[in-house]
Amino acid sequence: MSLPTPSPDLRPYFDELERFADGQMLPEEQEAFEMRLEQDEALADAHAAYEQLTADLRWAAGHDTLRLRLQALDERMNQRGDALERAHRLVQRRQRRWAVLGTVGLVLLLSAGIAAWYFSRPDPARPARNWEAYYQPDPGLTVTTGLLHTRPLLSEALDQYQAGHYPAALHSLGRVSPAKVGADTLLYLRGLILLREGQGNAAQLYLRRVSEEGRGELARRARYHLGMAYWQAQERAQALAALRAVAADSLSPYRASAQQVVAARVLEKE
Amino acid sequence: MSAPLAETLTQLRVGNQKFLIDFYQSSRHLFARWAQRQLRLAPPQAHELLQDTLLDFYDQVADGRLTLMPADLRAHVYGMARLRLAAHVPAHQPLPAAEASRRQRLLAQFSQLGADCQQVLTYFYFRGYHFEMMGGKMGYANATVARIQKSACLRKLYELLK
Repeated sequence: MSLPTPSPDLRPYFDELERFADGQMLPEEQEAFEMRLEQDEALADAHAAYEQLTADLRWAAGHDTLRLRLQALDERMNQRGDALERAHRLVQRRQRRWAVLGTVGLVLLLSAGIAAWYFSRPDPARPARNWEAYYQPDPGLTVTTGLLHTRPLLSEALDQYQAGHYPAALHSLGRVSPAKVGADTLLYLRGLILLREGQGNAAQLYLRRVSEEGRGELARRARYHLGMAYWQAQERAQALAALRAVAADSLSPYRASAQQVVAARVLEKE
Repeated sequence: MSAPLAETLTQLRVGNQKFLIDFYQSSRHLFARWAQRQLRLAPPQAHELLQDTLLDFYDQVADGRLTLMPADLRAHVYGMARLRLAAHVPAHQPLPAAEASRRQRLLAQFSQLGADCQQVLTYFYFRGYHFEMMGGKMGYANATVARIQKSACLRKLYELLK
């Protein structure tokens, strides 16, 4: 493709035209060139073509510069947009991860809670096998103001027994005179305290004496606690025999508790 | 037309393109949304369309085809974009075919030049730098080297056009 018609060849005039256009000529040289421009038609055509070329070049350079600047800006804006989107996605992913972890943690916590409740709940199919699950404690006499005045040492022992301070209660009980309280009562209380202290073997001694020698309410009570003392000492056969007797005694205040043990068959051989 | 807008047009004509760059930066996102809604264009195509439209606008100003700054520049640019897309013509006030063809050819050959030559010719013919400043920018020893380089690049471009 050629330049617009007519398209003079600039090559013979290029040096002169360029020096003239760029102001590189000396004043007299420039004056002479201007004179030639007026007289030489071919030179004038070449000059016009040169001016058109540089005008087009000026436009092309501006156009191209703007295009490159717009493209560069576009690329920068794309990169910034991508970076912002990446950061946004990262934050969202982190939030999702925390939400999932939180949910999993909550589910695990809930499962652990349910499992703990499930395994610790009393199983009706498998009755508890320890004596404490069935034991019905005797709270002993209520400490009243009258008792406190008439039998202060007994009151102290009862108070300590009821508070769970069994060694102190035994110590206080040792100071109580049998003449004032009654030997059976003291034996019964001692057996009771020893049983609660976990000394089933020692408790049997006192409770057996009360249950064998006495006939009234105290003996009935002692029989039940004796049965429990046997159980505590892992003497299951004797415990079962004693508690069966209590379960059969309609006057025993512990009949229901003893019947429960017998019915659960926890003392029978496995 | 307000005085600052008239000033903007003059600045554009002498090569200060900051106004169009700023316009592109602030309008790109809104234009993409508009083009997506009105012209069903995806954002990358919309960005390209806005760039081409601003180049058309610049050409109109540089050629003197646009002598008055439109009262509503945004509406003017959006209208140009819509026309450009519909008619596949570079502008609604196109140059004469011969002129447009000559310029497009020169633009194509200009981009075939090496990066240094493009830079030298841009500095001299677009930025209006004198040889001394151009030599400094390009790292040449002196103004004479800059003049020789510019001359060589211009000849190279002319040879490509022949």
